Amino acid sequence: MNFDLDTDQRDIAAGARDFFRGSASPAAARAGLEGDRLEPGRKALADIGFLGITVPEAAGGAGRSVLDLAVVAEQGGAVLAAPSLVTAARAAVLLADAPELAAQLADGSTAFAVLDGPVDGSAPSIDAADATLFLGLDGGDLVVGEGEVVPGRPLDATRGLASVRLTSRRVLAPDAQELWARARQVAAVVLAAEDLGGADRAVELGIAYAQEREAFGRRIGSYQAVKHMLVDAWAGVDQLRSLVWWAAWAADCAPAELPLASSAAKAYAAGAFERAAGTLIQVHGGIGFTWEHDAHLYWRRAKVDRLLLGDEAEHLDTVARLAVAGALG
Amino acid sequence: MDFDDSPDEAAYRARVRALLEEHAGELLHLAPGQEGVDARRHEPEMRRTQRVLADAGLVGVTWPREYGGQGGTLVQQAIVAQELARARVPGLINHIGIGMCGPTVIAHGSQDQRDRYLARLLRADDVWCQLFSEPASGSDLAALRTTAVRDGEDWVVNGQKVWTTLAHVADYGILLTRTDPDRPKHAGLTMFVVDMHAPGVTVRPLRQMGGQSDFNEVFFDDVRIPDGERLGEPGEGWRVALTTLMNERVAIGGAGGTIGLPVEAFVEHARERLPALDGDRQVLARQAVGRAVVASLAARYTGYRRLTVLSQGGIPGPEASAGKLAGTEAARLVADAGVRLLGDDAVYASTSDGDDRWQRTQSWLPGIAIAGGTDQVLRNILGERVLGLPPEPRSDKTDPFSGGRR
Ligand SMILES: Cc1cc2nc3c(=O)[nH]c(=O)nc-3n(C[C@H](O)[C@H](O)[C@H](O)COP(=O)(O)OP(=O)(O)OC[C@H]3O[C@@H](n4cnc5c(N)ncnc54)[C@H](O)[C@@H]3O)c2cc1C
Repeated sequence: MNFDLDTDQRDIAAGARDFFRGSASPAAARAGLEGDRLEPGRKALADIGFLGITVPEAAGGAGRSVLDLAVVAEQGGAVLAAPSLVTAARAAVLLADAPELAAQLADGSTAFAVLDGPVDGSAPSIDAADATLFLGLDGGDLVVGEGEVVPGRPLDATRGLASVRLTSRRVLAPDAQELWARARQVAAVVLAAEDLGGADRAVELGIAYAQEREAFGRRIGSYQAVKHMLVDAWAGVDQLRSLVWWAAWAADCAPAELPLASSAAKAYAAGAFERAAGTLIQVHGGIGFTWEHDAHLYWRRAKVDRLLLGDEAEHLDTVARLAVAGALG
Repeated sequence: MDFDDSPDEAAYRARVRALLEEHAGELLHLAPGQEGVDARRHEPEMRRTQRVLADAGLVGVTWPREYGGQGGTLVQQAIVAQELARARVPGLINHIGIGMCGPTVIAHGSQDQRDRYLARLLRADDVWCQLFSEPASGSDLAALRTTAVRDGEDWVVNGQKVWTTLAHVADYGILLTRTDPDRPKHAGLTMFVVDMHAPGVTVRPLRQMGGQSDFNEVFFDDVRIPDGERLGEPGEGWRVALTTLMNERVAIGGAGGTIGLPVEAFVEHARERLPALDGDRQVLARQAVGRAVVASLAARYTGYRRLTVLSQGGIPGPEASAGKLAGTEAARLVADAGVRLLGDDAVYASTSDGDDRWQRTQSWLPGIAIAGGTDQVLRNILGERVLGLPPEPRSDKTDPFSGGRR
């Protein structure tokens, strides 16, 4: 048994942390709400190679594992970076047999988005707001095409949500349901990894404040109501980390476990991130409810992410069905 | 990242499996659907089972060889636990002795005490219990009132302990007493090994909310304990007790062991029961099943992460408390969903097929959230020792114990 990151992955995490801390921030996420550009942006992510982590080397990517990608995504989640690595992860699976498109994904020359719902513009998708080429499932076929983009007024601007109606389409792979399902499972893992980063950071900020702020002659972290709230949020992050690593490992090494593992991680992430972000606001009191404070930006992410790629109820149901069908091994 | 056994671990597992097969005829086994045995009713078979396992080298895996252990790793110990569960061999009768009392004797006992006690403890020739809690001191353990007064070569003990698991079958116990009431409460304590068959020791069973009697109250009336049975110096009892409590944290859920019924058993139950529910009820039940499974898997894989740290030479720290918290929560979700799947059967003493294990497990779990540190006390430990949050202000650390009470 060796259920831990290796030295290589720790280095990747450290590098990603430096990159994201230097190129994205909650401040940028806040500015995004007023229409500013999101950070670090697609080009920077392509330049440092993060959009191509799981794209094969032959197609200009790094040919690395989903676990490596998850480790990077966690660091992006910690500073609410955009666009999401979920899109890159999902598109890389879908474009496995289309190396030219995969190369454009990896080098950032084409802005892809994957439409999670129908291709008729009736459901929002991640990173669709500034995308130019869309992947979707249409009558069981995997299609690629251009589209008409209608951005909404998102609760969280960093997700680039927009609904898209395809205006052209070309079939990339007929009868692609299985490939589509796998891509969506990988996407759920990476989304859970970003949530892990966001939740972890929210707890960290909450702890720091509880160590400083005083009320009634004591630091507030010494009050159990505050302490226990933070412990529960921290424990949720700790448990989520295990599920994310397991699910990412399954994506690489145990495909039969991926459906169960990805749904478990996604379902748990929804609650853990929401609790962490809610705790962050509550621990801060009035300041936590201000526009200037970062707390609401984590809260926005958590509220939006819990619904993306299937909500908690959908994934709990999937876990139950798969477990009863014998997926626990 | 790799969930398979390393070559060494695989070889060890194969050896354990072979030993369990070789001795199968001499071991107690759980019937299908049976989840545990009552030490009160099955004491002889449980003692025999532990002796056979000890002689095969499967008890005290992590203990030093010089005290009858195997000098093995926590990972090996986890492998033994997994294989015992797989072979449906119930938990050891002397689990408190092995998990808490023995390690305390190893750390603080004299050579003479180690020689006399440890090998017999491993073979369940002697069963041990932990005599810490009192009616007026549970979480606040250092507030205990049972006294030990020096009298020549002996100490004379008076007082009462309570909720003492296994005291009814125990031969020895580790006993925390107050020997100096004029000092601050943590400084006036002394630990002893007490002979549970000594004159003046009375054990009375307590009935738990689920109906069983695993724990007891224990009365001490002028019980004489020779000074040679002291563990550590007089006044050093708190330090000795901390060794016990640290080992307790690891023993309960510290390295990913399942608390409550295994999730696999639960899923089997769900497989049988779900189809009988109609429409909306089935949808709601699946949500509960999914939640219980996810929580169980999260606790299991977090345990694997801790185990990995231990296998690389790390030592179990206060984050072991998180394992108990998460395991308790997962066990509750499992038991709760298990009962709800029973529908009307849940309110009768047993289901139509005579299997009342979900009701039993459910009524056992409130105790787990209390025993070995309550959920709240564990959160305090995690908040202060892992998250680094400020401690609670307190006034009881410096004043003399006798001055603060009565
Ligand atoms: C099944 C079972 C087996 C046991 N076996 C043994 C045994 O073998 N040997 C033994 O010595 N003891 C044993 N115990 C006793 C156990 O250790 C105590 O019950 C436990 O430490 C709690 O103490 P208490 O019951 O006095 O509760 P109290 O300490 O009175 O607590 C009451 C409530 O107050 C809360 N509380 C107390 N202090 C704090 C605090 N500082 N912050 C926040 N909340 C607090 C608790 O969480 C709890 O909710 C067993 C208990 C159970 C249930």
